[in-house]
Amino acid sequence: MNRRDFLQYAGYVGLGATFPEVASAINLKQLGRIVVLVHLKGGNDGFNTLVPYEDGHYYDLRPNIAISKRAVHRLEGENKFGMHPHLSKLDRLWKSGEMAWVHGVGYSNSSLSHFQSLDVLESGSLSDFNNGWLSHIVPRFKKGLHGVVIDNGVEGGGVMNGRHLHGVTLNNLNTFVKAAKRVESVQMKRRGTSALTHITQTQNQLHTIGEQIAKKVGMNPRPVAGHYSGDLGNGLQAVAQMILNGVDAPVYKVTQPGFDTHSSQITAHGNALFQLASGLDSFSNAMKRAGVWDKVLVVTYSEFGRRAKENKGAGTDHGTASAQMVLGGSVKRGIYGQHPNLAKLDQNGNVRHTTDFRSMYGTIAQRWWHQPSPWGKQGQHPFV
Amino acid sequence: MSRLSLADASHLVSRTGLGAEWGSIQQLVGKPINHAVDSILYRRHSMPPPLLHMSKWDRLYAMRKSKNNKRMMMRTANREGKALQQWWSSHLLKTDSPLLERMTLFWHNFFPSTIDKTLATSLLYRQNQLLRKHALGNFRTLLHDVAKDPAMLVYLDGYENVKGSPNENFAREVLELFTVGRGQYKEPDIREAARAFTGWGINNAGGFVNKPKLHDHGKKRILGKVGNFNGDQALDVMLKHHTTPVRIVERFWYEFVSVNRPNRSLMKRWAASFVRSNYNITQLLKLVLTSKEFWSPQNRGALIKSPIDLAVGTLRTLPYSLPRNNLYHQLSLMGQPLFNHSTVKGWVSGKNWVSTQSFLLRDSLLRNLTRGNLRNKKSSMDAKLPQLSRDEMAEWLLNTQAVNPFPEKRGKQRLIRALVLDPSYQVY
Repeated sequence: MNRRDFLQYAGYVGLGATFPEVASAINLKQLGRIVVLVHLKGGNDGFNTLVPYEDGHYYDLRPNIAISKRAVHRLEGENKFGMHPHLSKLDRLWKSGEMAWVHGVGYSNSSLSHFQSLDVLESGSLSDFNNGWLSHIVPRFKKGLHGVVIDNGVEGGGVMNGRHLHGVTLNNLNTFVKAAKRVESVQMKRRGTSALTHITQTQNQLHTIGEQIAKKVGMNPRPVAGHYSGDLGNGLQAVAQMILNGVDAPVYKVTQPGFDTHSSQITAHGNALFQLASGLDSFSNAMKRAGVWDKVLVVTYSEFGRRAKENKGAGTDHGTASAQMVLGGSVKRGIYGQHPNLAKLDQNGNVRHTTDFRSMYGTIAQRWWHQPSPWGKQGQHPFV
Repeated sequence: MSRLSLADASHLVSRTGLGAEWGSIQQLVGKPINHAVDSILYRRHSMPPPLLHMSKWDRLYAMRKSKNNKRMMMRTANREGKALQQWWSSHLLKTDSPLLERMTLFWHNFFPSTIDKTLATSLLYRQNQLLRKHALGNFRTLLHDVAKDPAMLVYLDGYENVKGSPNENFAREVLELFTVGRGQYKEPDIREAARAFTGWGINNAGGFVNKPKLHDHGKKRILGKVGNFNGDQALDVMLKHHTTPVRIVERFWYEFVSVNRPNRSLMKRWAASFVRSNYNITQLLKLVLTSKEFWSPQNRGALIKSPIDLAVGTLRTLPYSLPRNNLYHQLSLMGQPLFNHSTVKGWVSGKNWVSTQSFLLRDSLLRNLTRGNLRNKKSSMDAKLPQLSRDEMAEWLLNTQAVNPFPEKRGKQRLIRALVLDPSYQVY
């Protein structure tokens, strides 16, 4: 970046900070409640994320990779659990009462396969993986666009599966609006193969949603203030651009990769968490400045946690339950649920989950969107 | 149907090769199915040129230990990784053995190993040669060799799997993905299988080494069989399990016939035949390519083109070109990065090739390729195209009915652009 670019950039940021919602004041007031799902891809090590620094078993199980008591980032008012030091950027959200943690999120007889467990997590079901969990809630209260998945690959739409969910997966917002503009709707005159039908349906969906998004963000979406880098950062920036321009999707999904830490975990896990914290830090600031942070709920999820005991390669194998993080202007600060018992491991060396993952979805359905929860039996949490 | 029509030949060529090359199609038109299939399967296959200048395994591995060296090692690994992707993608464009490359890609996706995880191009390059060697050979040999392949040993942490401290990563995936499949095994099978694979590692030269001292010689119970299994014996237990051949033939169905679920009894018949042939891949392929289902009208256009089918296929079929060194990057964007699958399950496949995200990338690629001067009748491009009627053009380039009507204005290039941008060009 040269000096002139920098001044322009800084000028824009300044402007944005002084007049938060110049272009789209009306839209933002009508904004509905939004959930931003953050997939911690690979299976996040919850014990090295929300660290149980008073639990002796934790240090016994992990002589090489535990976060030392001294290194843990302490949370004001808490005396048993602290954050991985690379999450310290998010401390201000804890201090302002906009961060919650939920212990031991998982399910019974947890699958240790990435794919199967992700199917479970994203469908909200232990057996029927055809529909994403959102398909049971969002179409009930919202017409039109339901969600946007930002993914740099071509996968990642699992939570948005379902015939009645109108969603789109995109990588880069600028490229998307330009490319989607060229997509025309098509009409099939004869019945084609299911492969061909899939193509024409995708094309028509793009045509419709592309038009909706482009109408709001324009052909050259303006960048939002903050520093965004990496997969998650780019994703969160796109989400911020859409929200601040009044795109009315109730769900966004972004991904932070790099959590499958089978070996040499310390560096890899630290990097992934650092990127997570940087991205969410910039994103929450942008939401606050625009005055919409209380309409946004950021929730992390991961296919599973990791083995309680470290392995020989200074890493951890696939585990079960893991702590998850919730952020947002309407969040009630706290650490919810029970820390899993590290002294009582199953035959695979894994902890027993203490919070059913579906109670997270139930909480979002009932307490955030005021919709009946299909997972009533699994309870809910007062984090919002 | 006794002899292949233009549409039949285009169907066979585009599903067994990389694109619908006019030359190959012409050679098959008028031939009986058996002859056509044999002429594709049994021929002399040519190999890619060697890839030179890769850092040695032990040098890069040693650099992982210190922080400063690690950064340099990562840079080297990434640079060499790109060269590797470039090497294969340019061979895909040039090869005159497209079936061999298609099958090598198939196994590369069945047994993925990535640049990002291994950080060792030299090992991936050797794995690629191994896959090509067995691509049309024997599945049993392939499985045993891949399990001992150094790139796989790094990719799924097998080289850190030792007696007393097993690493289960490889054992888990070999059961879930490479052999018996979900639902056939329980967690204890994974733990016991991991013990059987202990002791397999990599020597300083980057080759396979078996270290009996690090092997757990004890008894193991895998899939109901008990014994003092070593890694090879564990693999044989998995190979003999009844679901393993079924899972392989199902993959062939989805690769060669249709995105729709196959008939179960047909899969059982194919699997039985595969086992009878002692896991002979060429014979399985012959069975598939001569099957009623392969030629059935309802399975024409029943597969979705992968990014390689789309990009490499178009570039081999029509006289278009991409900027130099751009192909492997385009493939990555569209979801098919060579040597860099996002998960051990391999690239997405079937209908998942086309999401709202990838559709735009695929569409942009085809638009860019076919952009040209449509008014210039005597362009050099026209000369490179076969002399065909409009309907024949469609039969050549589309394996199912076009969705959009032909353009009203005449002109070969305009017609081809319309056919390539038709939704039905995305299937084959």
